[in-house]
Amino acid sequence: MSTFRKVFTFISMGILAVIMFYPFTFMIEQSLKSKEQFLGAPGHSFASWQKLFTVMPIGTQLLNSVIVCFGAIAIILIFSAFAGFGLAKLTFRGTPYFFLGIVGAMLIPLHSIIIPAYVNVSKLNLLDGYWGAIVMYAALGTPFATFLMTSYFRGIPDEIIEASVVDGLNYRGVFRRIALPLAFPAIATVVVLQFIQIWCDLLVGLLFLQDPMKRTITVGLGALSAGRTTDIPVLLAGSLVSAIPAIIIYLIFQRQLVAGLTAGIGK
Amino acid sequence: MASTKTANKKSALTRERGRSGILFGAPALIFVTLFLGVPILQALYYSMTKWNGLSATWIGPSTFVKEFKNPIFWRVMQNNALLLLAVPVAILIPLGIAYLLNERVAGWKFFRSIYFLPTAISWVVIGMVAIRVFAQEGVLNQLLRAIGLGFIKTDLLSSEHGALLAVAITFIYSMVGTNTMIFLTGMANLDISLNEAARIDGAGNVRIFSSITLPQLKRFIQFSFVITVISAFTALFSLIFVMTGGGPGFGTTTLEFFVYQSAFAKGDFGAGAMLGFILFVIMAGLGAAQLALTRSKE
Repeated sequence: MSTFRKVFTFISMGILAVIMFYPFTFMIEQSLKSKEQFLGAPGHSFASWQKLFTVMPIGTQLLNSVIVCFGAIAIILIFSAFAGFGLAKLTFRGTPYFFLGIVGAMLIPLHSIIIPAYVNVSKLNLLDGYWGAIVMYAALGTPFATFLMTSYFRGIPDEIIEASVVDGLNYRGVFRRIALPLAFPAIATVVVLQFIQIWCDLLVGLLFLQDPMKRTITVGLGALSAGRTTDIPVLLAGSLVSAIPAIIIYLIFQRQLVAGLTAGIGK
Repeated sequence: MASTKTANKKSALTRERGRSGILFGAPALIFVTLFLGVPILQALYYSMTKWNGLSATWIGPSTFVKEFKNPIFWRVMQNNALLLLAVPVAILIPLGIAYLLNERVAGWKFFRSIYFLPTAISWVVIGMVAIRVFAQEGVLNQLLRAIGLGFIKTDLLSSEHGALLAVAITFIYSMVGTNTMIFLTGMANLDISLNEAARIDGAGNVRIFSSITLPQLKRFIQFSFVITVISAFTALFSLIFVMTGGGPGFGTTTLEFFVYQSAFAKGDFGAGAMLGFILFVIMAGLGAAQLALTRSKE
């Protein structure tokens, strides 16, 4: 590659990096201003960061996000790991339909079911606690997770399972002692994808977490921003806080994220 | 005698395996049926009723006819159609970015991480930054002034089409990380020996990209197309909620946002359920078309 082309590529990538990083630059810069400074007064201050903790119950909301994420992910993992193993290795005549039923549910958009689901969940009196949101996130995440687990378990040779059965293990034993430990990469992928998705979601939380003190941080921010009463630097400071956990997870598990994203392409 | 015994034993084992398979899969199937399958059927039923969330009165399929005669519904569908125009852009830009990254000049891994970073943050946050970019005293106008184009004073968010354009640009931006990831994965699996052969035969860079790289990326481009179209129909809620609230007027109300608005702003749960069901039909139709298309090619 010619030097000119290398330099040109490098500069283009640099400009792109500035653009792609812009939301972060903007949040960091503007959150370091008071309301007056944001409206034009010169200088920077920590006023908005101090205010953040009085305007938003940010600690509680972070904790809420963690509770909802972990609750939903736990349910997704249990259902999808069992189902994935069953569909991949314990096949019977109905398996293809079974698979179609669960994977077909991937095609149902959230908005198509949300109104009836909202009414159902409210009738079950689950809107005031965490359970409504947890159950909805879990239901929405299970089909894709099952798809992922199934394709992963299909890669484990049948011989390993047959040999273990001959050795006297029952299928639950095979699942727990052999299949599950081998499935760790798939589990990691499901966890990362779902964590980022649930952490960043607005709509489900907005509807299924009716108690303001149970709101996740993203929902708290969304509700505040739509109200347009709070000052913007405070909101941006909150946004930055909300972004950090998902970014850390993303940086650690970049590879699993990419693997999960491209799992739909197949071989 | 012995062989029938093994056959019996084998079929018993197969039966046992099948029974376990059902037991392993049943919880997921029941759970998904209960919380996704039942509600989609309810959506169909309630779309033919007058429903406020508590009591429903049966009206019949005429509700659909009435909705199809509603000019606002077509205004909303038009917004969805216009947003689809963003899809090619949301594919081409990441394709270019992936191409640049794949040159692997110094620091490309660092740049890759930066480009993917917005993927980890909520579209709520991206939308919040985007309003300040597009605002009258926002960064976009400052930038235009700085490069001597101050006479083009934009105020995208205050007009219907301008606001839709602002949402579309933000949507394209938000898809960059995901689509670049997809293309970069595709490019990692390219057969490089083909490039060298073509170069010996005298092909230039452009020719190599269009005749050798692109065909090899076909599956990845298809996949990113599907993901981007699905997102255009079903993932814009956060952006719209934060950036425009569906306005001005119905300028940025898409079908998914209309579902929310009808049910929770107007209390018309029947209309919300119906619009949701229409969205489902559209997505299922697109899915079937995609499947037919890939099948016919193979």
